[in-house]
Amino acid sequence: MIEDLVTINKPVLGARERILSRFLLLLEDIIKVPLFRCQRCGECILSSTAFICSQNCPKRLRNGPCGGTRKNGYCEVYPERKCVWYKIYYRSKLLNRMSILYNLKKIHNWNLEKTSAWLNVFRKRIEPPVWFVHNDKNKVKELISHEA
Amino acid sequence: MRLKEKIEAGRFIVCGEITPPQSCNGNILREKLKYFRDYTDAVNITDNQRAIVRLSSIASAKILLDEGIEPIMQMTCRDRNRLAIQSDLLGAAALGIKNLLCLTGDHQIFGDQPEAKGVFDLDSTQLVAAAARMNSGFLLSGFEMKQKPEFFIGAAANPFAEPFEMRLINLYKKAEAGARFIQTQPVFDIETFSRWMERAAEMGLHKKTAIIAGIMPVHSAKTLNMMKEKVPGMKINDEYICRLNKAQDPKEEGVKIAVELINAVKNLKGIRGIHLMPVMWESITPVIITESKIKEFNKIE
Repeated sequence: MIEDLVTINKPVLGARERILSRFLLLLEDIIKVPLFRCQRCGECILSSTAFICSQNCPKRLRNGPCGGTRKNGYCEVYPERKCVWYKIYYRSKLLNRMSILYNLKKIHNWNLEKTSAWLNVFRKRIEPPVWFVHNDKNKVKELISHEA
Repeated sequence: MRLKEKIEAGRFIVCGEITPPQSCNGNILREKLKYFRDYTDAVNITDNQRAIVRLSSIASAKILLDEGIEPIMQMTCRDRNRLAIQSDLLGAAALGIKNLLCLTGDHQIFGDQPEAKGVFDLDSTQLVAAAARMNSGFLLSGFEMKQKPEFFIGAAANPFAEPFEMRLINLYKKAEAGARFIQTQPVFDIETFSRWMERAAEMGLHKKTAIIAGIMPVHSAKTLNMMKEKVPGMKINDEYICRLNKAQDPKEEGVKIAVELINAVKNLKGIRGIHLMPVMWESITPVIITESKIKEFNKIE
């Protein structure tokens, strides 16, 4: 009941695993930092955010934009930057991945900060990525019209 | 009747809002209560709004309770991690504060201490979900509490920021997470607001959560202009700025505009109440509520 909101009773990385994680993180950084401006949170949700890193948001929001998005989609804190969630919305629309935006994202596990997200997926510490979304429009319709 | 019962019974709700003082003198707060006592169903207490240090929202809410006014305590994620949030919520419940408005919080850069560390351990949707889990008897650690805090959980929505559809997804998520009422950002653009409300009703969200429209009375064109430029995510119709500019008595015109907005909003499908936010102009609340006759308004849907 609590598990779908927050990670509990998951052991932190052991000493030996930390070395493996560090090695994998190096690989991951080489790919994800230049491509996605990855912030190395260790709990990667790139696949749910249309491959734009939501952790570039000044408030590090994982569940959608705050109420302060400026006109034409600029960030309230850094007016010269586009709001991360504004970009996520339009990219999700483009890639037909809207239905994932409706899911509640877990509270971040800070123990995983600066560890390899790939290893964390493999060890089932975090949710696996969603590669393909089929029938996105129907899924959205189902989500929003079940009681209307 | 408490706010929860009133909303569940389908009564049209009128909420007020008080910004606590930058002072340890609780009497400043008590002074303002006369403007709300017989006019509103509940009063919001802001939590260090615009990232400026003020009397804490828990203490202020307790002062209101002692004075016999029902508070809606705002709780933000900017200043607290998950431990502090849960502990503060338990403290609030112990004091009898049950109405909760879950917010992410303004970024510290807007305040007078932009050097501060923003916490943002949770976001507003997760805070709603966390409070709902506490209601069912669990802390985020999985610890089961003997007594449930029984919060009446609310959240905020901004229909005016872009992208439009993302705002509805946010609303959907908050309603699903357990928000029983929603207070919106102040309405200064009826067209966008009714479009948003229409879509929310199409999605069936007005049945899952009680949507309460925000109304902000303004006393000068200068304030409204400043809001348009300085407050991100607001949509303000130029017509109102023009009217305030031309008016001989801008305060009177401000009241007129607020009453007009209330009348335009109250009949929209799914609107269950209004939320007056007279920032630093609390004394106008009785005037607006009397003139709009909103207390006598009964909506049947």
